[in-house]
Amino acid sequence: MAAKNYNIETENLNLWYGDFQALIDVNVKILAGEITSLIGPSGCGKSTLLRCFNRVNERYGNVTTKGKIQVLGKNIYDADVSLPELRKTVGMVFQRPNPLPISVYENILFGLRIHSPLRSLTRAESDAIVEEALTSVFLWDALKDKLKVRATSLQLEQQQKLCIARLLPLKPQIILMDEPCSALDAKGTLAVEELMSYLAGTYTFLIVTHNMAQARRVSSECIFMFLGELIEHRNTQALFETPHNSKTADYVQMRYA
Amino acid sequence: MDKSKIVFHSIALITLVVVFLFFWYLIENTHTEIGQQPTANSQQPTADSHLYLLLPISLLAILLGVACAFYLEERLPPTNWFRRLIESEVAIFTGIPSLLYGLLAVEIFVSYTLGSSGQGWGVLFYAEVLTFIVLVMPLTIRTTQAALRSVATPIRESAYALGASQWQVLSNQVVPLAFPGILAGCCRAMSRALAAAALLMGIHTWGYTHETAISAGIHSRYVLLLVAALLFSTFFSFLKENPT
Repeated sequence: MAAKNYNIETENLNLWYGDFQALIDVNVKILAGEITSLIGPSGCGKSTLLRCFNRVNERYGNVTTKGKIQVLGKNIYDADVSLPELRKTVGMVFQRPNPLPISVYENILFGLRIHSPLRSLTRAESDAIVEEALTSVFLWDALKDKLKVRATSLQLEQQQKLCIARLLPLKPQIILMDEPCSALDAKGTLAVEELMSYLAGTYTFLIVTHNMAQARRVSSECIFMFLGELIEHRNTQALFETPHNSKTADYVQMRYA
Repeated sequence: MDKSKIVFHSIALITLVVVFLFFWYLIENTHTEIGQQPTANSQQPTADSHLYLLLPISLLAILLGVACAFYLEERLPPTNWFRRLIESEVAIFTGIPSLLYGLLAVEIFVSYTLGSSGQGWGVLFYAEVLTFIVLVMPLTIRTTQAALRSVATPIRESAYALGASQWQVLSNQVVPLAFPGILAGCCRAMSRALAAAALLMGIHTWGYTHETAISAGIHSRYVLLLVAALLFSTFFSFLKENPT
């Protein structure tokens, strides 16, 4: 078997919110270029784990992290890691679509603008970047005449796709998604899933989901978490059909019963 | 830009212009030197000259209040003891009616001026300044904090997740969104200060010599100050209605 390429590796990752331990000795390796889904009951630490990988957890204060997280072979808690650079490499899509309350055009350029010196982008360059980003999320045809429209006035599905699109100009390697479809209807969910499958390979996806069917449809690897511990991490189909751990079996089958 | 926004902004602007014209009129029509000793006949100019110093001071207090609110809200975590202390103090101070501040100040003024050695005026001035700061700052801190808080967390979160620094999040997203709210808060504080100034001036002067006050046209000034306070609150209400 060929050596596998991992984008994210954690070693004995422990995390506390105050006195409450949210992650217990998590050791996980995320395959590059694949879609990995995180499932488990509410409060099991899926989102917490996800938020560790670009260190947005730290913003909440009162968070203690111990252990090692390697993203692209580099420990992200090293002193020389720059947060803006890390967050550029590891993009994030949130549960509710959260485009900034500015135009569609500016939303896509926002990431680039904050990472490059003032006025370093020419008009032609920015136009090209916006078109490319919107095309890769299949929004260009719908939005090419609405680039000046406030992004918050779009349909939810378009907003969520836009939130994915605005990551692309930064050329991230990993995209974290925290229940990206929970605010969308069936059609929107399908559209986002198609988009993920289309973009997988170029990007590594890590998706938290409460929807088992979605995990099964979209991901190739699946991680089951329970009360802060990582219980099982296998190929999605294997995990759903022949779970090794009884907790995984309970969770998976309860939902299917 | 949608129409309602244009309407709101122009009403606010017109109100502001009126207020400034009024101030200009007030300042143009009095020529006194600061620190002038009160005599039986020069009561009114002294009170006025205090007023002119008080206005820039309340503006400074407002700026300081805004800065303080930014520091509390954006730099300190909610659990910080200093932040909690200041916030509870601010809550108490904003709850005190301005009338009580006025009475407090008058109490100090009267006790010093009745001493009437002439040196009381310096102390009097500092008493006024302190009263104004205590009056204006808590309100500004509170409204600014509320405006900053009203910028939804997802907006901050998404900007941070794209790798923005705190300064970039503030300057690109939070401040533009919170600006109408912050300005509204400043106007509210200013109108409160003006109303209190009218109150102070009124009580202060009438307490002295009713006849001098009438001859010096204090009454009309008093009314004008109250009108200015009203205008400021109108300005504030329009800003507040401004949909974000």
